[in-house]
Amino acid sequence: MRVVIADDEVLLRDGLDRLLTEEGFDVVGKAGTAGELHREIGLARPDVAIIDIKMPPTHTDEGLVAAQEIHASHPDVGVLVLSHYLESHYAMRLIEQHPGGAGYLLKERVSGVGVLADALVRVHEGECVIDPTIVSRLLRRARPASALGQLTEREREVLALMAEGRSNKGICERLFLGPKTVEGHVTHIFTKLGVGESADDHRRVLAVLSYLRSAPQQQA
Amino acid sequence: MARALWFAVLVAGLVFGVFSLAVARGGAGNSFGGSSAFAGAAELAAGYALLTVGVAACMRPRQARLGAILVAASFAWFLLEWNNPAAGSAFVFTIGLVLYAVAPPLVAHAMLAYPDGRVGWWPGRLGLALGYAGSVLVLGLLAAVVFDPAAQGCAQCPRNLLLAGGGSSGAYGSLNRAGMYLGLTWSVLLILLAAGDLVRSTPARRRLAAPVVVAGCVYLGVVAADFAHSLHRGYLGNDGLDRRLWLGEAAALCALSLAVIWAWVRARRTRSALARLVIELAESPPPGGLRDVLADVLHDPSLQLAYPLADGRITDARCRAVELTGEVTPIVRGGQQVALLSHRSGLFAEPTLAEEVPATARLALDNERLQAEAWSQLEDLRASRARIVQFGDAERRRLVRDLHDGAQQRLVTLSLALRLARTRLGPGMDPALAGRIDEAEAELRDALADLRELAQGIFPVILAEEGLSAAVEALAEEAPAPLEITALPDERLSSSVEAAAYFVVSETVRRPAANTLKISAVRHDSRLVVEVEGDSAPAEITDLQDRVGALDGTVAVMRGPGGVATIRAEIPCES
Repeated sequence: MRVVIADDEVLLRDGLDRLLTEEGFDVVGKAGTAGELHREIGLARPDVAIIDIKMPPTHTDEGLVAAQEIHASHPDVGVLVLSHYLESHYAMRLIEQHPGGAGYLLKERVSGVGVLADALVRVHEGECVIDPTIVSRLLRRARPASALGQLTEREREVLALMAEGRSNKGICERLFLGPKTVEGHVTHIFTKLGVGESADDHRRVLAVLSYLRSAPQQQA
Repeated sequence: MARALWFAVLVAGLVFGVFSLAVARGGAGNSFGGSSAFAGAAELAAGYALLTVGVAACMRPRQARLGAILVAASFAWFLLEWNNPAAGSAFVFTIGLVLYAVAPPLVAHAMLAYPDGRVGWWPGRLGLALGYAGSVLVLGLLAAVVFDPAAQGCAQCPRNLLLAGGGSSGAYGSLNRAGMYLGLTWSVLLILLAAGDLVRSTPARRRLAAPVVVAGCVYLGVVAADFAHSLHRGYLGNDGLDRRLWLGEAAALCALSLAVIWAWVRARRTRSALARLVIELAESPPPGGLRDVLADVLHDPSLQLAYPLADGRITDARCRAVELTGEVTPIVRGGQQVALLSHRSGLFAEPTLAEEVPATARLALDNERLQAEAWSQLEDLRASRARIVQFGDAERRRLVRDLHDGAQQRLVTLSLALRLARTRLGPGMDPALAGRIDEAEAELRDALADLRELAQGIFPVILAEEGLSAAVEALAEEAPAPLEITALPDERLSSSVEAAAYFVVSETVRRPAANTLKISAVRHDSRLVVEVEGDSAPAEITDLQDRVGALDGTVAVMRGPGGVATIRAEIPCES
């Protein structure tokens, strides 16, 4: 898989390059700014771009802006944003702006090479990837008694995996369940939560994340 | 006592006028007022006008000297008739010979000494000295000493009591001519001096003195014309032109008397305005109310009152900037401007008003000026507090950025290096070493999580970048109690307003609470109202009050029944 890395920190960029190369990825370009990133994408035609969320000049959300621009100019290039911020707001913003093939991971995931490689593959396949820490924080948050409380333990696991952006097939693999069983869980979950089920994985992630973020009161 | 004296003078003057007119009518051919009923009426009108105005002035404070001069001028005006050959009495005739020309310098004196009766200027005094000398000494006394009526062909003239020796027709002619040249000189000189003085004086004084000076100058102009007309004849006579000029003098003297009265009428109106001002001020107008009182009392709705502050700004009592338009009158005390009044032009033409208004309103003016100063200092203080909070926030954001860019980035790089080292060592590595590396990686992950929490607590990046609404929603993911967010602003507000509102919410929701907390932040016009309702209101809100107070806002905790408390902040926000 062809990968471009954009990060203004040279040490980290090079380290990531070596790590991914050793894992068998083909690092075809490196960039320190959003401008360089666009040039590299135009030249190297990567499958996925790994982008630090903050880059010069303002060091805030240049990565998200770049992701949106990449979606407009090269919709076939997947985007994996690495972020210091544990904010579901930014993750939502990314997958709203870059539907299909976008991921939001905490930056320290770079050392967990398994997670990183898995995320790259999924983004390349067009899935969404949301950092599990963000999902578990959303599930853990204090909320009034709601439909979430009616879910079984297994259904909560399935819901978390859906929120992380996994497809039914991915959920089957993670939980060692059959496709029919997972489909059943998914249907149950959506019925209990009162959320319309969507066949489109990308829409499904957005619906689940929105539900978890907004924490609606239980219907009387 | 004085009143009785001046009443006696008035009666004496009235009798004096009637007597003089009788003398004139006795020798109509040689008189001015005796020539016709109209001339007689004009003679009495001018003389009595000067008399009554003079007596009235004597009874007013600060104008007694002027009054005395005016009364003297009225007597002098009648004396013109006493050198009539038909005077009958040698005493009257002789007084007439000496004093018949004394009216012009007395009127000039009154004009120059208006309004307080003093001539404080040496050229004026010199001119008057010339005038008195020319009229009383040269034309009067000296000419009388050498004037023999019989020798001049006046058989029926009474005896000249001052005649010394046989008289001298030559000397008499020379003295008369000299007196007339002198008269022409001083009268023109005094007209120029009075006009020049009027032009050079302050607008207020000019408006006060102009009517009197103009009437006086017209009178002196007519007098000068008569001197000029009489030069070729050699003596002051009473031909047709003389009589017409004399009528002009009478009219000018009536006008002069009216001008003095007009000034009194204006002063009276001013006093009634001031009296109303005193009454209004006794009611203690509210801060900033002095302008309204002055505008009402002075009948000028456009009037504006402003105070020059120590820092050079010009503001009203509430320290709002004021743009002064139109005519501006500074109110000066002890060489310092204490206030500025802008008003319709000519409002302070009456000098009494310009002096008395500031004096009457002195306490109220001082009060408002001090209020303006206090407001100004309060605003400086508020601005300073706002700057301190802003500076603090900027420092917090810088610190957070440094944490993310520095420590956090390095820790991530370090964990990456560890991972690389571990893959280098390969699958055959010592299990103990692998365990050590795993431990180090776990430590690093914890350190990164701690660092992230620290940065979040100092100043959330999402507040700075995405605004209040996103930051409050993010709070809901970490708060110990459920949050019900009922309203948040759609728009971005200024960073200090957003930070103040955010910290009001975050300080409250971080506390342990048993039940759901209701949060709303709604913008009402120019105020952002933030409310958190629940059972976790902090007991101590000084920090929040400092932060919100720096923006001129308020925070309060209202406790209701059942332990429910609402913390409510109102924060002004510009659009």
